[in-house]
Amino acid sequence: MRGYLLRRLPSALLVLLVASFVAFALLRLVPGDPAAVLAGPDASPETEAAIRTRLGLDAPLHTQYLQWIGDLLTGDLGPSYAIGGQTADLIADGLGATVELTLGALLFVVVLGAAFGILGATSRNRWVRGTVRALTTAALAVPPFVTGVLLVLLFAVLLGALPPGGRVPLLTAPDLGVQYLLLPALCLALPSAAVLGRYLKDGIERALAEDYVRTATAAGVAPRRLLWRHALPNALPPVVTLLGMQTGHLLGGAVLVEAIFAWPGLGQLAEQALVRRDYPVVQDLLLLLVTVFVLVQLLTDLVHARLDPRIRWE
Amino acid sequence: MTELYSTPSTALSRRTTLRAAGGGTLLLGLGLAGCRSAVSEAEAPAGKAGTGPRRGGTLTVAVNSDFTPSLLFAQSGQSLQHRLIYNTLTRYDDRLRPQPELATSWEYAQDGRSITLKLRSGVTYHDGRPFTADDVIFAVKNLQNPLRAAQLRATAAAVTGFEKRGDHELVLRLAHPVNNLFDLFEFMIVTDRHSVEDAVAGKKLNGTGPFKLTKWSPGTGLRFTRNEKYWQPDRPYLDGVEFRVVPQADALLSSLRTGQSQLSFSVPGKNLAVVASTPDLAISEYTTGGGAFYLGVNTTVAPLNDKTVRQALAWAVDRERILKQVLGGYGLASATPWPKSSPAFSETGRTHYTYDPGKARELLKSAGHSRLDLPLLHINLPGDTAVAEAIQYDLKQIGVQVTLRPTDPATAQKNLIAQKMPGLWAMSHGFAQVQPSTLAVSAYPFNEAKNTSKFRSAAYTKVVREAWTTPETGARANTLRQQITDTLLDEAFIIDLVIRGAVQVAAKKLHGVTLNKFSYLNLDDAYLAG
Repeated sequence: MRGYLLRRLPSALLVLLVASFVAFALLRLVPGDPAAVLAGPDASPETEAAIRTRLGLDAPLHTQYLQWIGDLLTGDLGPSYAIGGQTADLIADGLGATVELTLGALLFVVVLGAAFGILGATSRNRWVRGTVRALTTAALAVPPFVTGVLLVLLFAVLLGALPPGGRVPLLTAPDLGVQYLLLPALCLALPSAAVLGRYLKDGIERALAEDYVRTATAAGVAPRRLLWRHALPNALPPVVTLLGMQTGHLLGGAVLVEAIFAWPGLGQLAEQALVRRDYPVVQDLLLLLVTVFVLVQLLTDLVHARLDPRIRWE
Repeated sequence: MTELYSTPSTALSRRTTLRAAGGGTLLLGLGLAGCRSAVSEAEAPAGKAGTGPRRGGTLTVAVNSDFTPSLLFAQSGQSLQHRLIYNTLTRYDDRLRPQPELATSWEYAQDGRSITLKLRSGVTYHDGRPFTADDVIFAVKNLQNPLRAAQLRATAAAVTGFEKRGDHELVLRLAHPVNNLFDLFEFMIVTDRHSVEDAVAGKKLNGTGPFKLTKWSPGTGLRFTRNEKYWQPDRPYLDGVEFRVVPQADALLSSLRTGQSQLSFSVPGKNLAVVASTPDLAISEYTTGGGAFYLGVNTTVAPLNDKTVRQALAWAVDRERILKQVLGGYGLASATPWPKSSPAFSETGRTHYTYDPGKARELLKSAGHSRLDLPLLHINLPGDTAVAEAIQYDLKQIGVQVTLRPTDPATAQKNLIAQKMPGLWAMSHGFAQVQPSTLAVSAYPFNEAKNTSKFRSAAYTKVVREAWTTPETGARANTLRQQITDTLLDEAFIIDLVIRGAVQVAAKKLHGVTLNKFSYLNLDDAYLAG
């Protein structure tokens, strides 16, 4: 296994190296630079030039690149150019907020998806089935930026029950934090919950049509037991796979929801950094994403290799 | 195919469904009932109802962009916090007359080449260190540093000598007389000279202001607590202030309507009608101007090198419509950059160019054109896009086909400074709200020596230089201001459209809020009524 890992490591490092180069080069290819942003619309070219010098942006590109990589290797992500503070702190804060939002949304996806799926598949009341179908269709069709505004209007403006935006970290004040989390998490979760609910409904319906269910029914197994002990467990595996895929979508969708609910996550940070051409923050964020991806791939490969010895010898 | 067996009865009964739903709601209700409410927490009641100032309470301010510490000494988009943490030497009243702040009195020398400042004693920084003349010397020198990107650097650079007379008296010697020294004093925050690098890194902001910065969470906001040793007795009234970053316009509006925040200067014009219909909120406007939308013209691009064509464009734009549609009616449609509070303001200048497409067409024709195709760069944000589209529509009516080039703010700014703008661009400028000479000396689009329009004129340079160095009152000063205005109107290299008023949206229970000329928020006298 160690040999296999050693064989896989160089390609992973190569990917990271190429990614760092691409991230660095892409930002420089985009017009506009942090010095102009910092100088402001009424500044003179001399002021802009002085700021460029201070930031080290007038150094040759290869020097800037090596400087960045060198700092990264020593664990120093350096200061942000335009946002302020240390890049590492900014990313850590944003990551915490995004993970919190995604986990909250995931909880909603599971609860609502299960409710949609089970009710849709088992209710004999056509009104209930119709309502579930309408809800899942609406949740899928209405984009989060509309759902978000509607949720704020209903729960924050009209009912005054929940805050319209912002964040109090769950670990700092759980009772307040959960109230700030409810609306963005629900908004983010709705489309995925609808997808999950539909998959689950189909899965349960298929399972209920199986022969073993008929046999169990004939043997006198209670309907509730039939659902919870037999049909549901058999319907779950593809749904769990789907849930994994939806988690990725949730992370991606969080960018938009963060803007609607003023949730200070990675999405907001990336947007802010990109608009202000905050090179260190954008570069480090991109590299972080690639690193996570590479690590997951590496981990997946290792698990596969563990499960299937033939892979190790390929 | 007929099903041989009926579907097994696995359905949840109505009772089970209702039980589950009821149980879930109860659980959620109990859970939330046991908690503090995030909504009432945000409202922070300030005490019993009544009249007059009340101590206590935390004010929450909704801002659409975060504090940028590296821009601490430049006029950036978000300068509200400056006057909470720091003080300035003086502050202007509504009629642009300087009032004491850290400087208690001042006296110009007869020749205008020096000014003697008496400084307030008994003032301490948040860390307890006393404020002295050395801090003022540092503050001026700090702004002379180009790295600080201070727009008033030229005025700071005119100060060439410092003579300390004890800890609380200082003489500033000038290379030449300047008439916008009090603009500098209004603009220049007096920071702690020992921690200035920490300040621009956002690590430690140590000032003499009414509030201490206790926490800055990038992207989330700032938190301040009252400075118990503030030099103004019994001020501030508020226990604390919180800035909450809400970039999305609708979310910001919701934050105000729900009482989560009680003050904002970032509500877009299109949303002001909604605010006006909200009973708990009040709108007030600072007529001193918070900047101005303008149409920039590159005077080296044919046929825009012909001033008749530029004047035609100036006649073609319906400023009143832009004011109404983009700014919700809050502001001033004006052909000149000056707000009503400016000594350079005149109604004749403001209405020099009005909406007259017929005249615009005539001028174009006299310049030998009946149809033109021109590119127009604008920032791709909603307000700026709306202005650009309004210009595009108006110019089309006189036969000028405009191709819009939406551009992100960083690129637009880069092009502006690097003089790489296409024929036309629509952006906004500041610095017309103070001494008129500051606009021509410190705002790059109007700069006489080098500007984005690439407009050069010996006469403009002469009048700007003289206006800068002539005492700000008197007949000569008025004549020079008029000459600057006349040049701007006649040459039309910057076509001013609408002056934006700083629009304050506040809860009706909030009183005593003011802004200085550079949009620094002053909460010395602010309080939340019960």
